[in-house]
Amino acid sequence: MPRIQLLVVQPTPFCNIDCRYCYLADRANKSVVARETLENLFTQVFASGWIDQELSVVWHAGEPLVLPIAFYRDALTMIDGLKPAGLPVKHSFQTNGTLIDDAWCDFIAEADIAVGVSIDGPQRLHDRNRITRSGRGTFDKTVAGIRRLKRHGVPFHVISVLTAESLAAPEEMFEFYLAEGIDHVCFNVEESEGEHRSESFAEIGIEDAYYDFLGEFWRLAAAHPGRIRFIREIDDAQRNIFRPREAGFFNQLATPFAITSMDWTGNIATFSPELLGLKNALYNNFVLGNVNRDRLTDLAGTPLLLRMKRDIDAGIEQCRARCEYFSVCGGGEPVNKLFENGSFASAETTYCRMTKMRATDLVLDRLERMAGFVDGTEATAAPERTAPMV
Amino acid sequence: MSLRLKYQTVLTQLAPAGAVGVSLALGAAAPAAASQAPVDTQPSATDKDKVSERLAAVRDAVTAIDQIRTDAAKAEGRLAWGNWGFGWGGGGGYGWPNWNNWHNWRNWGNWFRNW
Repeated sequence: MPRIQLLVVQPTPFCNIDCRYCYLADRANKSVVARETLENLFTQVFASGWIDQELSVVWHAGEPLVLPIAFYRDALTMIDGLKPAGLPVKHSFQTNGTLIDDAWCDFIAEADIAVGVSIDGPQRLHDRNRITRSGRGTFDKTVAGIRRLKRHGVPFHVISVLTAESLAAPEEMFEFYLAEGIDHVCFNVEESEGEHRSESFAEIGIEDAYYDFLGEFWRLAAAHPGRIRFIREIDDAQRNIFRPREAGFFNQLATPFAITSMDWTGNIATFSPELLGLKNALYNNFVLGNVNRDRLTDLAGTPLLLRMKRDIDAGIEQCRARCEYFSVCGGGEPVNKLFENGSFASAETTYCRMTKMRATDLVLDRLERMAGFVDGTEATAAPERTAPMV
Repeated sequence: MSLRLKYQTVLTQLAPAGAVGVSLALGAAAPAAASQAPVDTQPSATDKDKVSERLAAVRDAVTAIDQIRTDAAKAEGRLAWGNWGFGWGGGGGYGWPNWNNWHNWRNWGNWFRNW
């Protein structure tokens, strides 16, 4: 039986900005999900028997905050009324931050919504790509949103898309986060998805640049204990490496319905959430069905799902057979395989070389170095122990 | 010394500081001027050991440390030590799967951090 762990809801395809690297072709469309569609989704999800102990809901792409607070107040009340008693449902926004005002901060705090803000570092880096439709940078508005969240005591993390320019500037990025009081950071890379072709991926030496960036950022964080409390790429790599041999690996992105996505029309997709909204003739634009027309539980047996699963599994088997890093990634991200290699049934991508392999190399290399300090083969003095963060 | 023993030795020393302490120590173990050092000059075991073997050795070390701690706790009639391993509970209670989370989001659940 499928297990939904993350429900990604696209309440509108519209985004109020127009980032150069955005893969969403429909981001100028101002349509909004109907209340009935949301009700159908959550009624079916809760009745499916596919929820285990909790459900995470992320309100995502386009820009979720272009819809009014009243929309979410109504939606969350409705969802709360539909959910089984005792089931924890945790909501999240992934936002560009430009629309965050005091009223949003009050609502986010009141509803206990987790917030991720997309910001690409200091202004000179952020405004290269994160721009309005008229081409103006969005840095000032995003930072204003972040400062409001801070003033209201609303916890948040940031996701920063790294390009060739920012990869060359770890210290500048670090100083920026410190200056803004940002202590939870996630790094994405500018990747090839949909119609977007990554310029960063085409750069010579980009994988080594990623290794160097992460290594230096990690070193800076360790030298300033308590200031950067979470670096997703480092924490994830360590979690995937320092685990007991009995612990397996679960690839959420390759497991049907572990991540379930719905667009504003009620269309349902699974596997990598980016797939929903992309065009693809072979896989019917990745749409398995529609909650206004189909039973969610019937979608698990559709020929389209089985075909996608077969191809994704074939790709995973290629990874298992030939990749040294399989145990830390479980076969990677289907969307990257499709748009880099042209097929789900494929293995290595630039995306995985950067974000999985090089991050793993970094942690293993640091462990080797520590082991060298311990057994005396490393000539340099061991680094000073730093105080634990509190 | 085998890879497993080498890793077990260093992780045994680091583990009492918890996951945060391990991360801080490894983060600080950067070569001087890490940002300027070419990757091919940085320390690595890849020349002699395959990555898959290194990963397997780390996990064997983690399991061994876990077992030692659990046995010691049992002998002393106390609870096994707290989680140190990035969400992997001591004493074999591995209740949470290792997830490959979607990168355009961040899981705010508390299953992977214990500090």
